[in-house]
Amino acid sequence: MKEPKAMAYVNMYGVLATLENLCEIDDVAKKICKKIKKPVSLCFEVKDGPCCTFNFSKDGCKMTEGDYGCTCKMTFASPEKFNALIDDGKPGIPTKGAVQTLAFLLGPFTKLTNRLTELLMPSEKNLKNRQFFEESTILTFYTIGGAICALANNDSISKHSAFYTVDGDVQMGITDVCYATIHVENHIFSLVKDKPVKPRAIMEFKTIDLANGLFNGTASTMAELCAGNIYMAGMISMVDNINRILDRVAAYLG
Amino acid sequence: MSKFPEYTHEKSAEWFSRALNAIPSGVYGHLGPSEGLFLPITKWPLMSQRAKGTYFWDVDGNKYLDLMCAYGPNVLGYCDDEVDAAAIEQLKIGNCTTSPSYKMVECAELLKDTVASADWAFFMKNGSDATTFSVMCARAHTGKKKIMFFKGYYHGDFQWAQKIDYPGVLPEEVENNIVVPWFDLEAMQEAYDACGGDVAGLIAQPYDHGNFNDNVCATKEQWAAVRKFCDDHGMVLIFDDVRTGFRLDLAGSDHYYGIKADLICFCKALANGYNMSSVCGGEHMKATASSVVYTGSYWMSAEPFAACLACIPKMKRLDTPTLFREMGLKITNGFKAAAAEHGFNLVVSGEPALFYLRIADDDSLMLHQEWIAECVSRGLFLASHHNHFVNAAITDEDIKLAIDIAEDAFGVVAKRHPEIEYLK
Repeated sequence: MKEPKAMAYVNMYGVLATLENLCEIDDVAKKICKKIKKPVSLCFEVKDGPCCTFNFSKDGCKMTEGDYGCTCKMTFASPEKFNALIDDGKPGIPTKGAVQTLAFLLGPFTKLTNRLTELLMPSEKNLKNRQFFEESTILTFYTIGGAICALANNDSISKHSAFYTVDGDVQMGITDVCYATIHVENHIFSLVKDKPVKPRAIMEFKTIDLANGLFNGTASTMAELCAGNIYMAGMISMVDNINRILDRVAAYLG
Repeated sequence: MSKFPEYTHEKSAEWFSRALNAIPSGVYGHLGPSEGLFLPITKWPLMSQRAKGTYFWDVDGNKYLDLMCAYGPNVLGYCDDEVDAAAIEQLKIGNCTTSPSYKMVECAELLKDTVASADWAFFMKNGSDATTFSVMCARAHTGKKKIMFFKGYYHGDFQWAQKIDYPGVLPEEVENNIVVPWFDLEAMQEAYDACGGDVAGLIAQPYDHGNFNDNVCATKEQWAAVRKFCDDHGMVLIFDDVRTGFRLDLAGSDHYYGIKADLICFCKALANGYNMSSVCGGEHMKATASSVVYTGSYWMSAEPFAACLACIPKMKRLDTPTLFREMGLKITNGFKAAAAEHGFNLVVSGEPALFYLRIADDDSLMLHQEWIAECVSRGLFLASHHNHFVNAAITDEDIKLAIDIAEDAFGVVAKRHPEIEYLK
């Protein structure tokens, strides 16, 4: 069962947070950003849920927690209302910089999120384009990373997995393509979109094709683990708990 | 230069590939790589060909000195002649029959005579069967709902013993589980009060022999306090002696710690690999045990009983707990010295008969995993994050070989890591 509050965190820290990576690697998104004349810091504040600010400029997008420095803000009365923004495009209530908020939301933001959706929920046809395939896989990787942390901190079942996870950095990655760190401290998870300096555990997929297959369910984790195509090392109990949360990610994002 | 050449596993890989096609995970559970502990998998044998005494041979013909003992069942040595002869003789005259063999009665009487807290024995097949029956008995006996566990518990894989985040487990199936820190009487009292005293019992292993952590031995005082707590609160005390049973004390690990459990679960060492498990209990639990509906098609098969009837007397003759303690100490002292020769600090924890190993100063455990892999690929079968087991067939010569391979493997790992200051 999906919990609305946990879903809101997944949408914020998993889905929308991937806008950062989208604007960094995708040519279409870069072009959209280039047209942003004046930086916009758009905050989504969800009652009883997450609050994050997305700072857009010509250079791309950077997400920060909280509403510090936001130029416009949209508030949502509940996690369900925020989830409706992601699912159905239903906006919340602009509470700061209303004109700018709506203009940005209906303009560049919608274009960027549409592009993100295109890449995170790819068509068979688009996946035949190698560049699209690679971008789609990389963005999915970061979305999953964010979703793992969101659920570990907010989903009632995943919290149990987090409770049994010891402190330290888990390195997740696609070899030579992209890496992320799941930082665990006192059972609270956070995502760093970079390699850790000193990982306590590692889970790494050997190729981007394998990662894509695992993400879309066409490859078998077990078969690939046994074939040596998934590298695991270190405090395996951490990876084990993360894998249990991954099952929940599939339930939320599947 | 390594003294022990590395094994290769071509046939293992072939068989495992076939296994993956026919069996979920190929080899599921603790005997296979599905739990992610064969790091890297190429260093591990995946399928065996035969076994004898302390050794098994994989399908590539590689020979392994096995300190995992099939994760416990191998207690006298693989294919022990006496136990096998008893089992084979029984097989020839009847095994799974409509009326159970009288061997079951003999087996129950033997357990009554052997286990200090046993006034009766009830038989099943696996450790999970035994722990599940015990929990059912506790609830039936007390009319209460919740079961208390010590943190990091493992009592088999039935739903109630798993955790809420495990695939296929419903929250409702584990909502009556209460987890408290080991021997924390204050936490036990708080948990008891929090549910209005609706606690049927406590199920626990004799000491904390969990994975990924140094094992922590218990004391008689700790168990005496827990025994008293259970008595004071009307809770059934269940000893899960599946892993440790007959390895610490032939009269049961509760006896080892100076108490009597209400129920005690045995499995691994009962019959030297023949499949059976048992719950033993005090007279006061017998009527309850009779009332619980619990049976299985093969639970009264005679062959394992015959094996058990040969295995337990032999363990008594050999005084296996004393033997295992001595062996465990010899092995681990040798390993520690071998580690020190190469600059490593090997931490040994748990009871010597079920020793747990960890290379210190590396909280990622990656160095430890490397060392274990180098041992396994040179013929010494160890596990990276699980306690080990010894068996009665191990000789001093075997122990010397184990230490030699361990030392060699430490050398390989040390050479691979010139960057580690303390190894210089």
